Amino acid sequence: MSHRILIIDDEDDIREVAALSLETVANWQVYTANSGSQGLARAIEHQPDAILLDVMMPGMDGPSTFRELRKNPATAHIPVLLLTAKVQSSDQRRFADLGVEAILFKPFDPLTLSTQISDVLGWS
Amino acid sequence: MDPGTENALAAALDRMWNQFLPQMHERVQVLEAAAQAFAAGPLSLNQQQEAQASAHKLAGTLGTFGLTRGTVLARELELIYSQQNEPEDDLAERLASTAAELRRLIDSRR
Repeated sequence: MSHRILIIDDEDDIREVAALSLETVANWQVYTANSGSQGLARAIEHQPDAILLDVMMPGMDGPSTFRELRKNPATAHIPVLLLTAKVQSSDQRRFADLGVEAILFKPFDPLTLSTQISDVLGWS
Repeated sequence: MDPGTENALAAALDRMWNQFLPQMHERVQVLEAAAQAFAAGPLSLNQQQEAQASAHKLAGTLGTFGLTRGTVLARELELIYSQQNEPEDDLAERLASTAAELRRLIDSRR
């Protein structure tokens, strides 16, 4: 089954590799945004099945974007997975406390990224 | 996964690597400059944060392109640059040699 996913990440290399991976391996429809504010707008417009959200972004960072997504009735229901290169356990606990569906780590394997997301969201 | 999909993904990743190679070089250049500056004296907060951000981005990216060792090295530098460090010869040497190894790794991927 084809899913629709929004990737929000300010780093264009990560954003494009993730999009390529999900499109090529899983045949999902992918939308992208390069900032938290653009991501909010795209989420409202496209109503994706899930959002892959980078943590460290200038301006509105991942946790702030997540809180805005949850506040808005148009996006509050969309599952969010955080994507981070932070590996320290204190950071992981802080992110888990936000209430996201899962935390995925950079670097990711482009061959298995869609499987990781599917497993978390019960799409397998 | 069928081999066709795997090959298509690998080929597309190679194209993307070449597309983003200048960006990787810029990030390493920041790390090389920080190492050089550190050898001469303490880094400014701005230099330190810039180096930490570059290392963080490389740590997140290199492994995705198959350079797992690059992610390990970049994480080491990210950790070092996350703290205020007093100049010392051993650390200056380590920062410089790690940045140099990162550059070699990046240049070795085709």
